[in-house]
Parts: sequence; structure tokens; C-alpha cells
Amino acid sequence: MITFEGAAKIYPDGTVAVAGLDLTVETGRTTVFVGPSGSGKTTSLRMINRMVEPTHGTIRIDGADIRDQDPALLRRSIGYVIQQAGLFPHRTILDNIATVPLLLGWNRRKARARAAELMELVGLEVSQAKRYPHQLSGGQQQRVGVARALAADPPVLLMDEPFSAVDPVVRAGLQEELLRLQQELHKTIVFVTHDIDEAVRLGDRIAVFRPGGELAQYDAPEHLLARPVDDFVESFVGYDRGVRRLSFFPARQLSLRQDVVFDTEDRVERARDVVEGDGEPWVLVVDENRAPLGWVDAAQLIDKPAGLTLGTLEMAPYGHTFDVATDSLRAALDAAVLSPAGRAVGVDDEGAVLGVVSQEDLGAAIWSVSE
Amino acid sequence: MIAADASGGAGVLDWVLRVVDWAVADWSHPGDPNRGILPRLLEHMRLAYGSILIGLIIALPLGLACVRWRPVYPPVLTGVNVLYAVPSIALFFLMLPYTGFSDWTAVVPLALYTLVILLPNVVDGLRQVPEHVRQAAVAMGFGPLRRLVFVETPVAVPVIIAGLRVASVATISMVSVASLVGLGGLGQLIVSEGFRRQFDAPIVVGIVLIVLLALATDAVLVVAQRLLTPWAHTGGGRTFRKKAVRAETAAAGDGTALEQGESP
Repeated sequence: MITFEGAAKIYPDGTVAVAGLDLTVETGRTTVFVGPSGSGKTTSLRMINRMVEPTHGTIRIDGADIRDQDPALLRRSIGYVIQQAGLFPHRTILDNIATVPLLLGWNRRKARARAAELMELVGLEVSQAKRYPHQLSGGQQQRVGVARALAADPPVLLMDEPFSAVDPVVRAGLQEELLRLQQELHKTIVFVTHDIDEAVRLGDRIAVFRPGGELAQYDAPEHLLARPVDDFVESFVGYDRGVRRLSFFPARQLSLRQDVVFDTEDRVERARDVVEGDGEPWVLVVDENRAPLGWVDAAQLIDKPAGLTLGTLEMAPYGHTFDVATDSLRAALDAAVLSPAGRAVGVDDEGAVLGVVSQEDLGAAIWSVSE
Repeated sequence: MIAADASGGAGVLDWVLRVVDWAVADWSHPGDPNRGILPRLLEHMRLAYGSILIGLIIALPLGLACVRWRPVYPPVLTGVNVLYAVPSIALFFLMLPYTGFSDWTAVVPLALYTLVILLPNVVDGLRQVPEHVRQAAVAMGFGPLRRLVFVETPVAVPVIIAGLRVASVATISMVSVASLVGLGGLGQLIVSEGFRRQFDAPIVVGIVLIVLLALATDAVLVVAQRLLTPWAHTGGGRTFRKKAVRAETAAAGDGTALEQGESP
């Protein structure tokens, strides 16, 4: 547990970087510091390993005042990942990762063996061990940065905008990887970003900083999106916070309709009976493995002769599907918005259709969680 | 030059053969180890390498100090530049009362002159260590001294060697001037034997050997850089290689200024 007790950083010229921060970072969880530039989030992070010394207040790690420890020794016990990775260009990947173990006095063989273990953990090929940092892509360099921070198995990991210098696709991959690692390792992670989406994705708790170095709100992500405390937080989390908040609610709570899903061999009159019953304007056609093929417009069914199979009719593309077991309401809504039928197709892990969600049901589900 | 009035290729060939003959005949004299070309060459190498080595030994800590305490750098650099503006021949004569005809008379001024190239390169080399690398080193738990020795200095090596290459060529050329105070290695072939005898073979041999020595020294430094910094050029080197090359070009610019400004 890391506690900030009135920690402040005020420079001699009167500039306030951090104005009296009181906050507790829980052990084994990911806490994200987010805010615009000049809000003191990075300064607050760097106070934890004494790269910045607070001018007022106290910071404790598990109750112990960090000022009681030599800064260099303290830092070796805390992992640190920096923007652009900060790898040492003159050391191989393996030796970069082995940095902290070597500083701690491990022998070279043991340190390198540990480094090789970590390369695997963060998804790097061991064949890259003897390469130099400039021979790696930005995303790979950042993986090395994470591996280096984890090398001495520190309980606390500080991450200072680690993924902001890589392109969005690579960033998404790295975020995924971090979530996976954290599930395995349960480190106390403090993560700084200016990207609220990244904060919501990674954080168990989010601290929103406002310019002037003040903490505006400290909350779980779904609460932050549902109930921003003031105008600043509301505008910072964005106008689409309602939609983004849906990512915290599982899609499996949706009620799926199976009666409008038909086989290619099913006959037109069967489908017609169903749509005439409740005015449903679209039916979904699936193949023999129940993989979706496309939507059939109910208007097409009216004048078709009986006995014709649905597979012979013209179909509109089904767009993309959502996984009922693992996706969120946000994914279901997205699938519905992008579908020409305005309906989302729910599938299982194998891609077989479990049912479709009508707009009414989707709307009702969203309404129920928005309250 | 005799070559100028020789008509046709046969004349030139004749001249070259005469120069080579002289060089071979005068290469060394077993009875008198101080006479001949070889002792001059060895003296030239001793004076040049001694100066460069001492220059580097001064430039490294001085450069580190200039990076550590920023305000120190401008006055120190000005001092080094002013020193460089003093004609070398004057410095050699000023040294004479203290060091006599020992090597130090040549080595001390030449070593000071190398600083004008080496010091800025050491400082720039250390300063071009990217901020994120420096901060990562701090965050990993390197103390200031360890960081300097294990991170910042190694990263600066390509730029320092680039400076060393320019400084050694300049110094190898300048050693000749010290022949006016009785030192000067191959320069003595040019000054004492060449001018006095109105005979061009010693001048030509002196120039050719000085150029060859400069080229060989440069080649050794290039190889040394490859061996010392495998990380700077393996594969399609990106940032660091470019930076080193840029610094090298900058240093080469300094070198031109140095040759133009060569006062003696």
C-alpha cells in the first residue's frame, strides 16, 4: 500500500506542481493517474521513488516513510517503466533486462537466466536476447522496458506514460499484455497517462488530476464515468462517457432472440409466420455450423412463393458480431450500430450464433444499467 | 620541384626512383641509432601519440566536470580556444627554459591543442545521451557515479572517438613544427635536411610518411570504434548512429577550422 499524506511539490519560484495530495494506492491493484499536462500526475508518480522529493507531506510504502531509505536502494526495489522505454543503447536486450539484478549484486549468470525468463514472460523471442535496442521496433522496446522493470520482482511497478510513444495498434496490444501480466503477477501498479480510455481500460482505480496539481476525483472507473464530481472531470472523461461506461457491463445479461434465426434450408413461409407475428423487420440466416451468413429483409418475404428456401434470397451483410460470454454491452451496442439491420448478432467462442438482440432489448438493457 | 621541369613520364619515374633510393639508403644506420628516417618516424609517433593520449586523459575528466557543472563549460571552452590561438612555435619556445630539449617541450603544447577538439566532443557526447535513457538509469537505482561510468560514458564513446580521429590527424601534422626546436620527428626531414640542402627527396619522404601515419592511425581508430561500440552500427542503426555521424561531421568542421587556424 502506498499512501500520500499531504504530499506537495512547490518549486522555489512558487510554481505548484502538486498541491497537497492525499491518496492511498491499494496493494496488488492498478491505480491510474490521469490528467491533462501540468496536472502533476507524473510529478506525483516520481515522488514515490524519490526522483522528485516532495516539499511538504509524507509518502509511505507499507507504512514506511520513503525518506528513511537511500534513494538508489529504494529505486532498485521499485520497478520503473518510462516513455520511449529508456533502454540503454550500448547493452544487449538481455543485459538491459538484467540491469537491476546486477545492481543488486546478483552474479551475471543468475541475472541473465532471470532476464531470459522475463523475455518469455513479456512475449519476446529469446533469439532477440543478443540484439541491441535500436534493432527492435518501438513496441518490442517497450516490452523490454516492462521486462527490465520486473527483473528483480519488485512489489511496486511505476509506469510513466509507457505506451504513449507507440502507434494505436501496438498500444492496444501492449495494454492487453499488461492486463494479462497483472492477472498473473498482482503487482501494485501506478500508471500515468493522459489518455482517459487507457485509464479506463487498465485501471482498477483512477485518480483524475486537474491543472494546478490537485486531485479532482479518485474512483473506480465505472463510477468515474457514471458520476463525475464536477464539470472538469466530466469534460475530461469525455462527452461519450455514457457509451464508454457500457464496457463495464457484460453482454451476457442481454436477452437474445433465437426465433428470428433461420437455416439456409428453412422455407420462406416459416420465416414469414414469425415476422408477421410481431412485425420483426429482419431475419438472420446461418449456415450448417450456425455461422452467420446475412440478414434477410422481411419485406422480401411477402411476395415470395412458398417452398423457396431462405438460402436463395438476397442477404445484407451481418457486420460484426459480439461474443456473448466475454464482450460488454458496449461491444453489443457497437455491433448493432454497424449492422444494416440495426441488430447485433451474439455468438459463442466458436462463432456459432446464439441469437440476435433487437433494438428494444438492447435499449432496455442500457437503460437499466444507466440508472 | 624537379618533377616540374622533367618532361614526360620517364622524367617523373626517374624522380620517384631517386626519392625512393634516397629513402631506402637513409632508412636507418645500424651504427648510429639516431640517424636516418626510421628514428624520425618513431619519434614522430611517440610525440603525436603521447600528446593525443595526454589530451584525452585531460579531456575526459574536464568534459565530465563541464557536464556536471554546466556554468564551468563556457569559460573553460573559451580558455582552451584562446590557448589554441597562441602559435605553437611560440609555445614551444616558451617551454624550452623549463623542459629543455626533452619530449615535453613538444608534447605539452600539442596535448593542450588537442583539447580544442576533444573537450567539445566529450561534452557533446555526454550531453547527447537521451533524456529518457538518463532518467531510466536514475530510476533503476544507478547512483551519479555509476551512471556516469556505466551508462553515460559508454553511450558517448562514438562521439568521443570521432573527435579523437580529427585530433590525431591534426596532431600528427602539427608535430612537424616542433622540429624548429630540435624535436618534430619527420618534420626534421623537411626542415633541417630538406630546406638546408635544397634537396627535395627528404621533403617528399617526410610528407608521404606523415600522411601514411595519419591514415594508419585513423584506420586503427575506426577499427577500435567498431570493436568498442558494436551497438552503434549493427544492422540498420537508427538514432545513435545518426547522432555519432552528425557529431563526426561537426568535429570534421572543427578540424578544418583547426587546419586553417594553424598559426605557425
